[in-house]
Amino acid sequence: MSFIKTFVGAVALTAFAGGATAAERIEFMFPAPVQGKLSREMQRIVKEYNASQDTVEVIGVFTGSYDDTKIKAQAATEAGKPPAVVLMGANFAAELAMSDLIEPISAVAPEGTNLDAFLNEFWPAVRANAKFDGQLYSIPFQNSTPILYYNKEHFAEAGISKAPETWAEWIKAAKKLTKADGERWGLMMPSNYDYNGWLVQALAMSSGGSFYNTSYPGEIYYDHASTKAALKFWRDMAHTHKAMPTGVTDSKAVSTAFFSGKSSMIVLSTGALSFVRNNAKFDYDVAFIPRNVRNSVPIGGASLVSFKGTTPEQKAAAWDFMSYLVSKEVIGGWSRFTGYFSPRKTAYDLPVMQEFVKNNPDALTAVEQLKYAGPWIATYNTVAVRKAVEDEMQALLSDEKLTIDEAAARAQKNANEVLKPYVESTALRF
Amino acid sequence: MKAEVAATEAAAAPVSTAKATLRPWPALAAALFAAVVFLWSAPILWMLLASTRPESFGSLDMARLLPDTIPTTDQFNYAIQDGDWIIWFLNSFILVTGTLIVQLVTISLAGYAFARMEFRGKEILFYVFLFQLMLAPPVLIVPNLTTLVHLGLYDTLIGVMAPYWGSAFGTFLMRQTFRSIPRDFEEAAVIDGASWRQILWLVLLPLARPGIIAFSIVSVVFHWNEYLWPLMVLNSPENMVLTVGLVSFALGAEGASDWGLIAAGTLLVVAPLAVAFVAFQRQFVNSFMSTGIK
Repeated sequence: MSFIKTFVGAVALTAFAGGATAAERIEFMFPAPVQGKLSREMQRIVKEYNASQDTVEVIGVFTGSYDDTKIKAQAATEAGKPPAVVLMGANFAAELAMSDLIEPISAVAPEGTNLDAFLNEFWPAVRANAKFDGQLYSIPFQNSTPILYYNKEHFAEAGISKAPETWAEWIKAAKKLTKADGERWGLMMPSNYDYNGWLVQALAMSSGGSFYNTSYPGEIYYDHASTKAALKFWRDMAHTHKAMPTGVTDSKAVSTAFFSGKSSMIVLSTGALSFVRNNAKFDYDVAFIPRNVRNSVPIGGASLVSFKGTTPEQKAAAWDFMSYLVSKEVIGGWSRFTGYFSPRKTAYDLPVMQEFVKNNPDALTAVEQLKYAGPWIATYNTVAVRKAVEDEMQALLSDEKLTIDEAAARAQKNANEVLKPYVESTALRF
Repeated sequence: MKAEVAATEAAAAPVSTAKATLRPWPALAAALFAAVVFLWSAPILWMLLASTRPESFGSLDMARLLPDTIPTTDQFNYAIQDGDWIIWFLNSFILVTGTLIVQLVTISLAGYAFARMEFRGKEILFYVFLFQLMLAPPVLIVPNLTTLVHLGLYDTLIGVMAPYWGSAFGTFLMRQTFRSIPRDFEEAAVIDGASWRQILWLVLLPLARPGIIAFSIVSVVFHWNEYLWPLMVLNSPENMVLTVGLVSFALGAEGASDWGLIAAGTLLVVAPLAVAFVAFQRQFVNSFMSTGIK
């Protein structure tokens, strides 16, 4: 017995002594943004950071998809091992803050840090999703918007001189580019979950809508004119104009179809820019998402958050690492490597970034579209609310007989059902 | 895992049913089986082909099942460069063997107790044990993780294995297997003065071989392919297992996917199991047939 006590004491002592001298260890969880290459690059950045100083040691943890990352970070926090830094879907911050799972950045940053000035170095379009209830909860790291990729060779062949700018031009071009019997489609857009909701939002925003109430997370605008316009445009493309395959199309099928010349135009994230640049073996270009009422798109991508329950030492380490990741040089390098745009505006002042944008005009288009970008859907229980409209969009693409009014009304009803607990405990509780 | 099970079934089907249907329509039956075998093996054929194409995607023939290019090893080279395969293989190997060895000890002891020993509350205890089968594993993620953190096993391979060391399915299977062995053997051993340990070790276990092999296959395949639980427990790159590593290829959050690379990576992951299956095919099939597991 006394032996065990001595032994435990000795172990505790060594552990304590070790802790006093070693660097503060924190975990950084990140999902796979595009391919294995990118997670390797991320591990390289982590290594470089660890080598650059000796007070913090970051362990880069690859955590699968965005959803898996959320599950893992949440489970680890509940089990008492909160991760100090997590790269999380940009629109999840509000929900995590709502359920009291993440720290406001003001609690992580050293006292007296001017966070407003810090946030002002980021593009206005990415700021809304970073905040909840007036407080900063996440730091944007890699962002994207939906963008139109088109095959210039097909355009020339069909006698179209420039990318479509309005929906009318878009429909006309798509019809003209389509070849019979599915040999070539005019336009393809991913309609799998997540991508689907993002693009419906983009089309609704182009039609003048804001899609959800950006100042109150309990309201969503599905049974409204702008969302109905989005549903109608997408549905008609498949069933009326027959310029797009019916049924659900996965994002991977969309990029594969574009590379193989089976689709003349596709809508994908700007985050796929490098991927397209490396793999399209023909002359392609990118253009803004055409406007219906106005030019407008939602942002996408991921931000850095810090989970609750870490020690003050870990918080300090987390801030140091986060500041490193979003420093102009690192965030700019990541943007060039991946194709995401850098949410930190000032990164584009660096000579290396200006040089890059000059050589890759498609990257510049992505940045210019930012002027017209707005926040990404972030409500109470975002995923379930988003799924309500995605289910209807998928039904519309598969079922020619389903009407827009019916689909929009049902999406609204189902979403309201999801939002009910929040609404009843906030706006309707007095 | 699906591919493995499919292969097992495809192989088992002709053996078990061919005899019955041989006489009336031999040619038709053969054609039918060939069609089923082809259906089951199509994804594997495609994978083999996609992984040996020079381009990862971009040709319209990507979906073809007939070879139309000169095979290259490019995709495998990329896949190997892209990951720490040696570490992943080693960890997956430690994970499945470590899990299986402890499982075999616990399930044979528990199975013996439920099959042969008499004690109060045996039936109820057994049903409580079986109840474990009805719990969906994701429900247990947080409680199990909390326990691991308390035990200091978070981010260790032992932590991934630990929750599986008591297997309800294995205990059930061993109990059934032991019960199907006539008591005469044991009684003979008792007359010769054997203790219960000797009976279990020298008489029952050798006779329960088909059950043990069947369980081992199910266990190894399951843990080799498991993704969510190792993803939850493991953090450090040096503890990573194959499935989690592979996902870093297979995921394309922004609509990008390297089909050839994914196919090559997947083949690398399934290779050890596939080789083992081909090598021990007859034994596997016999075990499954005698235990009634599919």
